[in-house]
Amino acid sequence: MKRDLISMHDLTAEDIQVYLDTAARVETISLKDRFQLLQGKIMASLFFEASTRTRLSFESAMYRLGGSVIGFAEQAATSVSKGESFSDTIHTVENYSDVIVIRHPREGTSRHAAQISYLPVINAGDGTNQHPTQTLLDLYTIIRNFQKIEGLRIAFVGDLKYSRTVHSLLQALIKFRVNEFMLVSPDSLRLPEYLKRVETDLPVTFVETKDLEDAIPYADIIYMTRIQRERFPDQIEYEKVKDAFCLNAGMLKKAPEQLKVLHPLPRVNEIAPDVDETPHAEYFRQAKNGLIMRQAILLNVFEVTI
Amino acid sequence: MSDNKIQMIPKIRSGIVIDHIPAGDGVHILEILERDPALKNVPITFGMNYQSNKLGAKDMLKIQKDDLCERTIQHISLVSPGVTIKRIRNFEVVEKVFVQPPKEMVNLLRCLNPGCITQNEPGLKTRFILTDPKKNLVTCVYCEREFSIHELSPIV
Repeated sequence: MKRDLISMHDLTAEDIQVYLDTAARVETISLKDRFQLLQGKIMASLFFEASTRTRLSFESAMYRLGGSVIGFAEQAATSVSKGESFSDTIHTVENYSDVIVIRHPREGTSRHAAQISYLPVINAGDGTNQHPTQTLLDLYTIIRNFQKIEGLRIAFVGDLKYSRTVHSLLQALIKFRVNEFMLVSPDSLRLPEYLKRVETDLPVTFVETKDLEDAIPYADIIYMTRIQRERFPDQIEYEKVKDAFCLNAGMLKKAPEQLKVLHPLPRVNEIAPDVDETPHAEYFRQAKNGLIMRQAILLNVFEVTI
Repeated sequence: MSDNKIQMIPKIRSGIVIDHIPAGDGVHILEILERDPALKNVPITFGMNYQSNKLGAKDMLKIQKDDLCERTIQHISLVSPGVTIKRIRNFEVVEKVFVQPPKEMVNLLRCLNPGCITQNEPGLKTRFILTDPKKNLVTCVYCEREFSIHELSPIV
């Protein structure tokens, strides 16, 4: 059976642990040895929506493992722009590759691709729904910093309504028995109710606030997100909230020593550049961990044990 | 009570009775029956607001046809879960089922999320999982959004 990676819904904590362990082992293997692992394999990188980190780190990961990459970085460069259906695109691409990585602005696209293709499919972000590879690298970053996940206190800040990284990560953290979250957002960008209804034996508490300063003394991790202009159906609503939160170094003076600030990037103005110099800034290492985790994901998809 | 019922909606010799419909839902079930091509020209009797010990008030439908197709029954289960479908032969009830929404619904409901791939890919069948039977909540398999069944329009 092929191994897809579509949604955190599909994974147990044990499944996630396999990815985390593989990523840790990837770091111990020399570049020369790594280069042998996926020789002859081709990854189709289908980005129907703009991306810097996810696309480049996936492509870099494949090259690091000795494989090759074909694909496109925007829909305009494909036959989809000529009216070709998504299904036809997938059936065409599967003739030329061994794994398909998809980013698409519509929710559920990767699930659909996985159902119609005989190749493994990796979801690199589907609309506002899921971003499981980002979640896995976020978890890897957390483990590297805290050596554990359970019991940590996490504050999500910014666009909690449309941010797929928040939706995916929240679900994963609950699987690891994190049961206390602070949600910092404007009213119009609150976490959807359906994401707060979780099936777990452990009661999960959500503390909601509009004040970023509430999160600083509270949290082990502050997970910042960008207010995403492209997700707003009404641009006036975007203008009202675009500058809702800006974390700066002065605010972090009250922070506990262990606090780490994460961000899936890109940032606009929600984290001031002076935070970069503080020991709390973890977002660039987080982006670097993306390259490690995406190698682990590709190895897992191809069932290569290291 | 029993005599009263007979006066208001006559017994049928043979066919299907949909009973224990919460008052007001009968109209929605009638809309579903109207869309079923197999029921074209079939006599259907519709009664509203009967007294009911269980529901307070109920609607009832009597269809002079021996069976209903599975898809129509599934649609009924979505708009009014818990109704009773009785099969009648020679004025007697020979079979009675309580209708509940199926655990998985394939191409019965349209996803409300305009960004969902099912709204945008021709020919892709929608799929919903019943995630909370008590609250009638369903989750789209594709976009993973949760909805109340009553928010979603049926695919006909």
